[in-house]
Amino acid sequence: MAHLSEGTLRRLVDDPEALTGSDRRHYMDCPGCQARHKGMADDAHAAATMLSAPELQLDVANAFKRVQAAPAAKPQFGFSLPILRPSTRPMFAGLAAAAIVAALAVTAFANILPLFQPKTVQPVPVTVADLQSLSKLSDYGTLTWSKQPQPQIVLTAAEAKSVSGLDVPVVAKLPAGVSSTVTYAAMPGAVAVFTFDAKKAAAAAAATGKSLPKLPSGIDGAKLTVTVGPAVVEIFGDMNANSNGNSNSQNINLPQLIVAKSAVPVVTSTQVTAKQLEDYILSMPGVSPELAAAIRSIGDPTTTLPIPVPVEYASSSKVKINGDPGVALGDNTGLGSGVIWIHKANVYVVAGSVKQSVVLDIATHLK
Amino acid sequence: MKTRDEAFETLFKSEYARVAGIANRVLADPQEAEDVAQEVFISFHRLHSASAHFAPAWLHRAAAHTALNRVRGRKRRERRERQELAQAPEESSRTFDPQRMLEVSEDRRIVRAALARLAPKPAAVLVLRASGLSYAEVAQAIGVGTGQIGTLLRRAEAALRKEVTRGTSI
Repeated sequence: MAHLSEGTLRRLVDDPEALTGSDRRHYMDCPGCQARHKGMADDAHAAATMLSAPELQLDVANAFKRVQAAPAAKPQFGFSLPILRPSTRPMFAGLAAAAIVAALAVTAFANILPLFQPKTVQPVPVTVADLQSLSKLSDYGTLTWSKQPQPQIVLTAAEAKSVSGLDVPVVAKLPAGVSSTVTYAAMPGAVAVFTFDAKKAAAAAAATGKSLPKLPSGIDGAKLTVTVGPAVVEIFGDMNANSNGNSNSQNINLPQLIVAKSAVPVVTSTQVTAKQLEDYILSMPGVSPELAAAIRSIGDPTTTLPIPVPVEYASSSKVKINGDPGVALGDNTGLGSGVIWIHKANVYVVAGSVKQSVVLDIATHLK
Repeated sequence: MKTRDEAFETLFKSEYARVAGIANRVLADPQEAEDVAQEVFISFHRLHSASAHFAPAWLHRAAAHTALNRVRGRKRRERRERQELAQAPEESSRTFDPQRMLEVSEDRRIVRAALARLAPKPAAVLVLRASGLSYAEVAQAIGVGTGQIGTLLRRAEAALRKEVTRGTSI
């Protein structure tokens, strides 16, 4: 019989009754497993000791009063964004992170040409540490909106088109179990300007006490202008607000499917070359050699939109949607999936708590 | 049927001690742990219904991650600890052994710094289990199967020991 797994042996530390009959017999006769168990028990006890904490003296009633007194938040879209079951959230967290870092990555790659317009997509594996280090980009300059994003919730596809100017994608056939109730969100185009600021970078580096990469010479004051959207989003699911008289106290059910369409981001730049920015970002502390290698191997950065895939949360695969290359993201637990692709200067996303085959079928037959 | 606010109060009273306990396990600072616990409940109340089946798991996970994030940005905290330690011998000499207090505080600082260097998932598994959550509850909080917890816990404990050793040998 094979030796007991480390998970089984570790559980035995907490629960001496955890072993099944055959595992128990093996354990009793196997000095190797007993020795491994002993080592694990030592580590477990050491961890428990190390994680000891001062005693808490709680006044729950007073704590509740303080929480009640906190001002209620005003949801951005007039309703709270859906929160998913813990088991499905990682995939959506991955998608959200992907969207955010895609914007950063676009900023990084769009430069040598006065105009950048991605025509295809490519997955890039990233880790949480990578995401955290990339987010420090904001330490190096100032982001301002010359045209603020103004997302709106609208009632019909016609209104969504009127706001965004985009034809709203139509799902040919909703899969069984997905509600036909649809909520539309639409946004006109928005324009952000990122201005590199050497003084701000120096101050940020001093504040963190870390040695951060030096800005390339001549980059101070360089501007990247990023145009995002217009965009439309269709959210399928019963999104009824459950208001009990308190306008801030709203609740909605989970969306089962999200279909989004956005014009590809367009970037113009001054003073900055692709090579400078790429080297700069990839030299940041915390960017792993794997990520750097993945980004450098991406092919033509001026026409490729990198889709960061958080490796802890989601797996990815390359797919074709009616001939256009796409990236399919799948929850590792199989509880949710999504696909992103570019067709005729628009980025499309289909995602939901459904099987990947269902997402791909919807994407393929989107009208 | 309970109103939304009544349901939230029930959830608060049943989970507050545990949520604060998780944060305290990470921070080793009761006052800051309560700040984190209240922040977590406020966020939850703004976003979700207290009768949601995932509510306890959400709160546990959020407590662990919020507290871990605080440790990662702990410069301010360390400054305060140093001030407290400087005052401690005079203020506490009648009831505490100052040398021992200093050692405990330093040990906790090293352990929390090591915890903050772990990847988010193993760090969360460690503190959730150390806070008394069952394997099933830890699994729900971090969104994995219960069968994976033994392995995750084992690896996290080994990683913590390694990080603490590294932290003390620098």
